[in-house]
Amino acid sequence: MSAPALKTAPAAVPAAGAPGPFAAWLPAAVPAGEPDWLTTARSAAAARVASASVPTNKSEDWRYTGLRALLEQGFTPVDEPLTALLPDDIEDVLLPGLDAHRVVFVNGRFAPQLSVLEGLPAGLRIGGLRATLAEDPDALREVLTAVAGDGAHVLTALNTAGFDDGLVLLAARGVQVEKPIELLNLSVGLDEPRVAQPRHVVALGDAAQVTLIERYLSLGDALYCNNVLLELDLGRDAVLRHRRIQIESPSAFHVSGVYLRQGANSRYDGINIGMGGRWSRTDLVMRFGGERAECDLKGLYLAGDQQLIDYHLDVRHELPRCTSRENFKGIVYGKGKAVFDGLVYVAKDAQQSDAELSNRNLLLAPSAEVDTKPQLEIYADDVKCSHGTTVGQIEPEMLFYLRSRGIAEGLARRMLCLGFAGEIIDALGSAAIVEHVADAVGRRLEAAPL
Amino acid sequence: MSAATLEEVLPGKAEQRGPSQKTAEAEAEYGHLVQAEYEHGFVTEIESDTLPPGLDESVIAAISQRKGEPQWMLDWRLAAYRKWLDMPTPKWAAVHYPPIDYQAISYFSAPKKKELKSLDEVDPILLETYEKLGIPLEEQKALAGVAVDAVFDSVSVATTFRSALAEAGVIFCSISEAVHEYPELIQQHLGSVVPPTDNFYAGLNAAVFTDGTFVYIPKNTRCPMELSTYFRINTANTGQFERTLIVADEGSYVSYLEGCTAPQRDENQLHAAVVELIAMDNAEIKYSTVQNWYPGDAEGRGGIYNFVTKRGDCRGVNSKISWTQVETGSAITWKYPSCILRGDNSVGEFYSVAVTKGRQQADTGTKMIHLGKNTRSTIVSKGISAQHGMQSYRGLVRIAAKAEGARNHTQCDSLLIGDKCAANTFPYIEVKNPSAQMEHEATTSKISDDQLFYCRSRGLSEEDAVSMIVNGFCKEVFNELPMEFAVEAQKLLSISLEGAVG
Repeated sequence: MSAPALKTAPAAVPAAGAPGPFAAWLPAAVPAGEPDWLTTARSAAAARVASASVPTNKSEDWRYTGLRALLEQGFTPVDEPLTALLPDDIEDVLLPGLDAHRVVFVNGRFAPQLSVLEGLPAGLRIGGLRATLAEDPDALREVLTAVAGDGAHVLTALNTAGFDDGLVLLAARGVQVEKPIELLNLSVGLDEPRVAQPRHVVALGDAAQVTLIERYLSLGDALYCNNVLLELDLGRDAVLRHRRIQIESPSAFHVSGVYLRQGANSRYDGINIGMGGRWSRTDLVMRFGGERAECDLKGLYLAGDQQLIDYHLDVRHELPRCTSRENFKGIVYGKGKAVFDGLVYVAKDAQQSDAELSNRNLLLAPSAEVDTKPQLEIYADDVKCSHGTTVGQIEPEMLFYLRSRGIAEGLARRMLCLGFAGEIIDALGSAAIVEHVADAVGRRLEAAPL
Repeated sequence: MSAATLEEVLPGKAEQRGPSQKTAEAEAEYGHLVQAEYEHGFVTEIESDTLPPGLDESVIAAISQRKGEPQWMLDWRLAAYRKWLDMPTPKWAAVHYPPIDYQAISYFSAPKKKELKSLDEVDPILLETYEKLGIPLEEQKALAGVAVDAVFDSVSVATTFRSALAEAGVIFCSISEAVHEYPELIQQHLGSVVPPTDNFYAGLNAAVFTDGTFVYIPKNTRCPMELSTYFRINTANTGQFERTLIVADEGSYVSYLEGCTAPQRDENQLHAAVVELIAMDNAEIKYSTVQNWYPGDAEGRGGIYNFVTKRGDCRGVNSKISWTQVETGSAITWKYPSCILRGDNSVGEFYSVAVTKGRQQADTGTKMIHLGKNTRSTIVSKGISAQHGMQSYRGLVRIAAKAEGARNHTQCDSLLIGDKCAANTFPYIEVKNPSAQMEHEATTSKISDDQLFYCRSRGLSEEDAVSMIVNGFCKEVFNELPMEFAVEAQKLLSISLEGAVG
């Protein structure tokens, strides 16, 4: 496949070498006046993009997920900020029961007119990345590009080289934010296929506690791509409850990378719900920077209707006495394809590491496919590590039980699927979110040819 | 090159082995005192007919000529060789070793005396070697009813129980013999499960294989005895390229045992074998291996590189192929006994115990490819890693779109002894049929202090306690082994772990 033509000569890309198949994703120029450390990171990333070729299924990272569909669209960067949206326009997508501080991004750009950020507690700072970089870049120095580093693959490098805006959430030491913070990412279809590459940065000081609800939605049935990257930095004893809910349009492409660095005794509680988009890939990269930290990752994915949903987990226990739990469940139907690749790594001296990785799938249609690869790499002996995977269908006995009580087959199947998904949905916590996701899953299953 | 010049090379080679044999014999004598050392490390002084190191088309022609092979066999080898030249060495396994110089290996080595009619004619030194390994051929005739096709280096020198087997119509002979006597069977089946283009090592094997075993079980026949062959690598610098082909025709059953030991060496030796199993309608093949090649010393010097391609094809309906392996030896093991479940209702099984200690590395597992309806597979893999041992389970379960009602259960458990070893699990699961039931579970842990304490408090020494716990850990797999092998395997396991605990 030929690379999409370059629209303009990208200033951020070094002249050396071929521009690479992803070069068209990069903006013409990055904003001027960025700090030196960021410029260095950006040009290193741009060099990686320039020298990268399209990964094929020979690459272990992309064994089951082809990039062809993604590259065929000829995405180019969003160039103009979209300011035309007014609070009334987004009324429909808000969750009425959710009392939260709200920060809204439209096509990857901060939309202050839609955000509700009054009454933030002292010590909590929320704003746009572009503005923060202009005003106080040093506040980001320890986190921005430092947590993600070189990243997992070329799409991470693309974000580093080309991000333009994103969330900055900084909680000072000991700040306990009572209300959840809603990070609403809205996408609107534009004249041609566009890619937005927001970069969200979240840093929690020692013992800070925050709940972050990150949502991805489309306004209309738009074709676009989000290549999102999150850098999360948790201080000592900090707690981050993180809900990620991706319900984008069936034409959307979604790439996200979540990079987490956890301080000693900190706790990360993350739940990923992935059900939207035509093609999506999520990399969850978890690192412990201190002992006795806990990382709890859950996920639920629904793939049908020609959808591809890919979750990659990379959890490294480099230090002793950390705990991680990975529990992902999937429902795959129609012509859907789900890919799960989970790696738990325990380094040589990471004694008393405790990890449990689980991936369970319901495969419901002849054209659907599940490829799962739960891996353990263990170099320490005093550990407790396990993983389990299943691929199966709805139990005929359960179905019979419901049918015998007069429940129609279709409804019975949906009930059983919802029951399967319930373990993850119920863990979401807040009633408004649980209801929202249960409702969305229910509606999807109703439309699905089960 | 001519045969005459090759003969001239030999005497020098044989002499070089003198001194090492002395030490080796001493070792053999006191071996039981030096616990946890390799039991079977001795070199037998026997003249070998060896080709000088190197590989090109003339070497292949020379191998073929020496074995008096028909033209089609030579053509097959040469075609494989030409394809092999373009193949890359596999790099994906989690094992580390310096690149192998394929031109430094001698591709043919055969004990010199040939054409033996009875056991009495077998070189007494050879027989003694087997005695040391605990496989007295004479006794075995009377005992257990096990026929042994003893492979010493690359050529079969003795085959027992031929007549008993012939009565049942079972063909059990060396593959070179089969090429002459049953060319139609060989032409039909050789390379049909593991084609020469399958992978780098299978390609190399197809080009240069020197010998191996051929088994054919006719229709509706239950093989009257367990078949077994003992492999043994000898002669320094000789790679061993065995090729085994087992065909079980409709409604037949065979149990095949393979055991390996090799003398102690300082240089790495390459072992690239190919095993092909074919099970027709309602046939069953049980293939058991106890592998105890020389693992190298505690620092990782020497040892066998065991790069083997083993695959079974459940071609017929209701067929069954079962692999059981106990892997305690080799410096590096790269081995994935697999089953292609083509026939409806066919069954594939894989039971494995692998031990890595010292500097041993093992990347092993299985592939279960479900193609037919109602196919079932079971994988039980137990890995034990001690000292600097490094072990990976790498497995694939693929359920194709048409494999209605397929079922798989996989269990892989790893036991870590010491904080320098490693255990990895890399399962690949690909499911394209919604009626499939697929379960995979894996655990990694050390021997729990509670278990140890319980045993110690009842007066067991720590070593005995560990040995007992480890044997319990592996029991599921040992249960699958034929009786004699199960005993040997348990013994091997405790010997392997001596000195590794505590």
